[in-house]
Amino acid sequence: MNKLLVSDIIDLNTGDYILECKNKKLNINIKGEVTLYLKNQILNELNIKIADNSILNIYQFNNKMESNLIVNINQNNNSKLNYNQSIINELENNLIINNYIKGNNNESKINIRNICEDNESKIIVNVEIEKDTINNIALEDLKGINNSGFIHIEPNIVCLSNDVIANHLTTIGSFDQEVLHYLMSKGITLNIAKILLKKGFIYSNMNEYFKKNFGGE
Amino acid sequence: MLKLENLKLSIDEKILFENLNLEVNAGEIHVLMGKNGVGKSSIAKAIIGDPNYQVEGNIFFDENNITNLDIYERAKKGIYLLNQSPIQIEGITNAEMLRAALSEKTGKGINIFEFNKELEIICQKLELDKSFIHREINVGCSGGERKKVELLHMWMLKPSLIILDEVDSGLDVDAIKLVANSIKEYFEEYNPGILIITHSITLINTFDDYKVHLLDDKKLIKSGNKELANEVLNKGFKELSNTFVISEN
Repeated sequence: MNKLLVSDIIDLNTGDYILECKNKKLNINIKGEVTLYLKNQILNELNIKIADNSILNIYQFNNKMESNLIVNINQNNNSKLNYNQSIINELENNLIINNYIKGNNNESKINIRNICEDNESKIIVNVEIEKDTINNIALEDLKGINNSGFIHIEPNIVCLSNDVIANHLTTIGSFDQEVLHYLMSKGITLNIAKILLKKGFIYSNMNEYFKKNFGGE
Repeated sequence: MLKLENLKLSIDEKILFENLNLEVNAGEIHVLMGKNGVGKSSIAKAIIGDPNYQVEGNIFFDENNITNLDIYERAKKGIYLLNQSPIQIEGITNAEMLRAALSEKTGKGINIFEFNKELEIICQKLELDKSFIHREINVGCSGGERKKVELLHMWMLKPSLIILDEVDSGLDVDAIKLVANSIKEYFEEYNPGILIITHSITLINTFDDYKVHLLDDKKLIKSGNKELANEVLNKGFKELSNTFVISEN
């Protein structure tokens, strides 16, 4: 695992990286198979270019911080994107993800989990697949739990090609009462039951490394 | 231990039971029987404190009136419901849930070494692979595995009153035997009160002695011993309901 303090621009080759961002804007060029971990970074703009024949896995977590982030991700040919972000917001949260697929044989999976504790959370995910491209896959899985705030989620997939597998799943709900009652029937308070559920929800799109090294809060 | 006193039970203003009286003491096994839809499971849910039910009358547990306590407080006092279709919870493992519940119960931290060791011993006893300890609660489990997982929870939490709501439903003969033997072993080791809701004789015949209560038409119509259970199985609920009009209890 490489821990990097990064400023404006960085080229990343195959490997796993924990990024600490010095500035609010970051440009990343990905080559090979790269896994990135970002936790509570004060980024406003994240621009990612994934080279041909490359794979990018991102695990990003924002906990109770004000956040206004635009993520632009470009894919050309034979690339894979596995973007995972979990957010717990008490302060205002705005996240816009723009994923442009410009070539052939690409895969894009974008998974977002948001718990809105208070205030407002707005999440817009745009995936655009250019015309005359072939064999691309775009999947969006965006879920929100509204505890006592307001969540707005927009899942957009624009397919300009007729050779695309595209799917989006978006849900916004509150805590499942049946599940809360089940946990309470084991002798767990409502508060602890909610904490367990939040943890499970936030972790559901994080990998084992993240859970071991960034968990417990 | 458990005492239902003049219980009137309703849901959405529909009355399910009236004037229901029942007492279950430590070391006793009571079986509720009745035809489908009579509301047997509703009694179990009312005892555990499901807020969807309106309850009039009193529910006492260990001589404390628990009628107005919520689910958590009742469970913490030692009431455990093992129901017919345990739900699955993504993102929370059995170990995490049990650690939280035991911390609440004891008011102190858990010794992880002893906790894991005890879990492994119980898994072995239940013929449950120990990987279930760190698996999400009931996710991807078959009906039989779910019941075993619920028994794993029961053994770890050590309740003093166990309510078994049709735990034998959907299980094959071997699985019923395993579940029944595990409950019997727990009964012999910890001497809890047990309230069983069932249509099946296989589960209750595991026990040497038990009391049977027939429910129909919003009330308890007859109480007896294991001969009554056999009578139900031989004659059916319909015939017996016509015979017993008023509870003898």
